[in-house]
Amino acid sequence: MSAQDARGPEEFERHWSGALPAMIPLLETLRIEVRSASWFAALGEPLSDGDRVDATDYSGAAEVQRVASWAEAEAFLKLTTTLDWWNREEALRKELLAQAEARYPERALWTALTELTTDAGDLVHGKAATAAARMGGAAPASIHVAAGAAAQAVYQLAVARAAGASASPFESKFRLFAAGRWPLGVAGSRLVLF
Amino acid sequence: MSDLVVKTVEELKAAPEEYREAVAKLVISHAVNELYGAQVFDEPAIAYAPTPYAKWLTCRVAMEEYGHHVRFKQLGVQMGIPEQRMVPGAGKKPLSIFEFPLKTWEEFVAIKLLADLAEILQVEDLLHCTFHPLRNLARATMPEERFHAQFGEDFSAELVKTPDGKARLQAAVNEYWPYLPKFFGGSKSRNNEIFRKWKIKQRTNDEMREDFVKRATEVAAKYGLTLPEVRLAA
Repeated sequence: MSAQDARGPEEFERHWSGALPAMIPLLETLRIEVRSASWFAALGEPLSDGDRVDATDYSGAAEVQRVASWAEAEAFLKLTTTLDWWNREEALRKELLAQAEARYPERALWTALTELTTDAGDLVHGKAATAAARMGGAAPASIHVAAGAAAQAVYQLAVARAAGASASPFESKFRLFAAGRWPLGVAGSRLVLF
Repeated sequence: MSDLVVKTVEELKAAPEEYREAVAKLVISHAVNELYGAQVFDEPAIAYAPTPYAKWLTCRVAMEEYGHHVRFKQLGVQMGIPEQRMVPGAGKKPLSIFEFPLKTWEEFVAIKLLADLAEILQVEDLLHCTFHPLRNLARATMPEERFHAQFGEDFSAELVKTPDGKARLQAAVNEYWPYLPKFFGGSKSRNNEIFRKWKIKQRTNDEMREDFVKRATEVAAKYGLTLPEVRLAA
């Protein structure tokens, strides 16, 4: 997503030209991955070896801690002391977005990311609601929180791929979501996984 | 008053020019303002949110606001409106509230509490619109707008638990409230007259503004907040 655009119609047109077709293969692949992912299907389940590998790839944390309920997840997410990992990801996202903007016209990139994230947001919202109903114990707002987290993961991955960064941590973060998990954040040397 | 009902975008082509122009104005206005709101308030607010829970909730709100822009723009494209008329910077003057970039979390909570209530009223007025694609879009948007206003209420309830938090929220309300009644347009708006003539919208700007002030006063009072006196007519 980007800052406001105050260009005139001619520059607007130039900004658009040809960029969407060039991005379509990249985004189509991601759209298919989004549709086929097992969003929130394994919340609270015992961790598999694959989960641990992706968790380590994603965060570099020495330990992986599982939480088993929505109440535990909510309690962790409401801590104010665990934002370092968020700030690191945000710094990386901004860096990758700048690289992506160097490869694609800004408006076309922004439009493509917005439309992808909007579609993904609606999909993952339904999946989060299903998981919450199945497991019980979730605050209504937590469904929106889960959907925000998952749609953000899609957006981060789209930005990384648009930047040409094939080995970013956003790949392994997305794989955790695609495997039905929800990485909640990093506290000290622990990645907390729902 | 007209009995015209337009059930599809295809049928719109045969509608009177005044009707088509009126519908296009509304679609453009919603597309532009939803995008402004997302860019100026919702997306920057993610950085100010105090916990991961609040950050992801704000992410979801921002994505839904961008989504509203996308949906209005898609309807506009189907109606033949050029895309560049439905994004900021293409001649449509934004609402004055968008000229004040967000500075704190409390400002965002105040905006969700009060400005999103104004948005709810605007969308409510389209729920019986005679142009059914716009009516249906309003109906799809409404649950999300209600969630955004509830977000404002939930975080207001958190903030007012401490005297300091309540003072900061009240200061934010004092700063933003004066701009909000103007959302509803002028008392003698020619556009509003045309919207009502064709039953695209239902109420006068003054009726909506009066209702908004009443509901905003009630919701602010729930959290021990007051609204500063402002001149109501735009």
